[in-house]
Amino acid sequence: MNQSSKVERKMESGDLTDKAKVSVLVAEDDRVTRSLLEKQLSQWGYCVQTSADGHQALEILKKTEVRIAILDWMIPGLEGPELCRRLRLLKKPRYTYLILLTSRDSDADLIEGLEAGADDYMTKPINLMELRARLKTAGRIIELEDSLITARKKLARLALTDSLTGVWSRFRFQQFLKEEYNRSRRSAQPFGLLMVDVDNFKEINDTFGHPAGDNVLKQLAQLLKKNLRNYDRIARYGGDEFIILLLGSDLGGTGSVARRLLEIIRQKKFKTGTGSTTSVRLSLGGTVFFPESGKESDPEKLIVTADRALYRAKKEGRDRTVVIPLEEENI
Amino acid sequence: MTGEVKTELPINRKEALERIGGDESFLQELLNIYSEEFEKKFAELKQAVEGKDFKTIREAGHYLKGASANLSLPALREASWKMEMAGANSDLEAAREALSLLQKEYQRLQEFLKASS
Repeated sequence: MNQSSKVERKMESGDLTDKAKVSVLVAEDDRVTRSLLEKQLSQWGYCVQTSADGHQALEILKKTEVRIAILDWMIPGLEGPELCRRLRLLKKPRYTYLILLTSRDSDADLIEGLEAGADDYMTKPINLMELRARLKTAGRIIELEDSLITARKKLARLALTDSLTGVWSRFRFQQFLKEEYNRSRRSAQPFGLLMVDVDNFKEINDTFGHPAGDNVLKQLAQLLKKNLRNYDRIARYGGDEFIILLLGSDLGGTGSVARRLLEIIRQKKFKTGTGSTTSVRLSLGGTVFFPESGKESDPEKLIVTADRALYRAKKEGRDRTVVIPLEEENI
Repeated sequence: MTGEVKTELPINRKEALERIGGDESFLQELLNIYSEEFEKKFAELKQAVEGKDFKTIREAGHYLKGASANLSLPALREASWKMEMAGANSDLEAAREALSLLQKEYQRLQEFLKASS
């Protein structure tokens, strides 16, 4: 009694979908053992499926998310070790903990079973106390794996978005750029690239402090994003620099987006978080990729060209946009 | 009839109950399942011995060995093991002996259960 509530509590604390029971598959051709396990496992709070055939068991493992499988070594169809091997080849997104059941007990069998991908091994007749203890171990491994998956997802999110501003990360942007470059070549649609830099950003930091600088960057990022189409991409390139991908935009389109963004930001007052506001001026440099030019190019070359355009905007006095064709870079 | 006289009980009830947490009615349920399975497998075995199908002899013997062990039926477990071995060794004479031993031990179990219920 006490034990079954313990098992359930454990399930709730794991990453298993809300209060879902841990699902267990029992693949065993002996009806006595199967009935025994089915009843006992249900009583312990597991969600139990059973099968008396190895091939059928493999189908269940393929189609449903079984977290623990108890497999008979000598089940008809596919025998236990082969079943283990096939399951491991499936590369399921979530780990299935495998317990092999056998009436044999020689060391050679044990090694064969473990090498086939089993996690644990029990000999028949099954002692239920022993099974309960082994299922607890299985539960710990599953929980551990679930928390690893959660951590990995969190890390992926951190790698893909910029933690300060919430726009895409530079890493993710490079993937977008590559994808868009390839798509552009297939669909013969041009696309534009803009580099955005805050003029004299250091002055904001020096005047109002670094937290104010962070506040301004956050507002700027969201404002830029809001004024793009939802299929355009914006990322923080570093420091006070942002980079924007404009899908389907030619030279004229890219230039007009750049000028529009420059104007919108000019009009805006930014909160510093210290009670005062400040205005922001931008320099924007851009370029466009035309797939019909037929030239093999490197997506990285677009960034180099846009950066060159930005440098020119800075040099010509800031608070302006410069958009140059990609070809110019090669001259 | 072959086989030595058995002095031990056909079922070690205490051990079987321990394994399933002391649930008497569940043990009865499992014994009913066992009986159904035994009769099915015994019919298969009879045919397999007639047809010298050693693969089936080995597999059915193995099956009954596991089921018997689960319910702590030592004599039936041993008879099943002999059947499995006879299949593995393709030994027809041993298979015939195991078959009659199985039948005898199964009857002994049924009589014992009837008497103790």
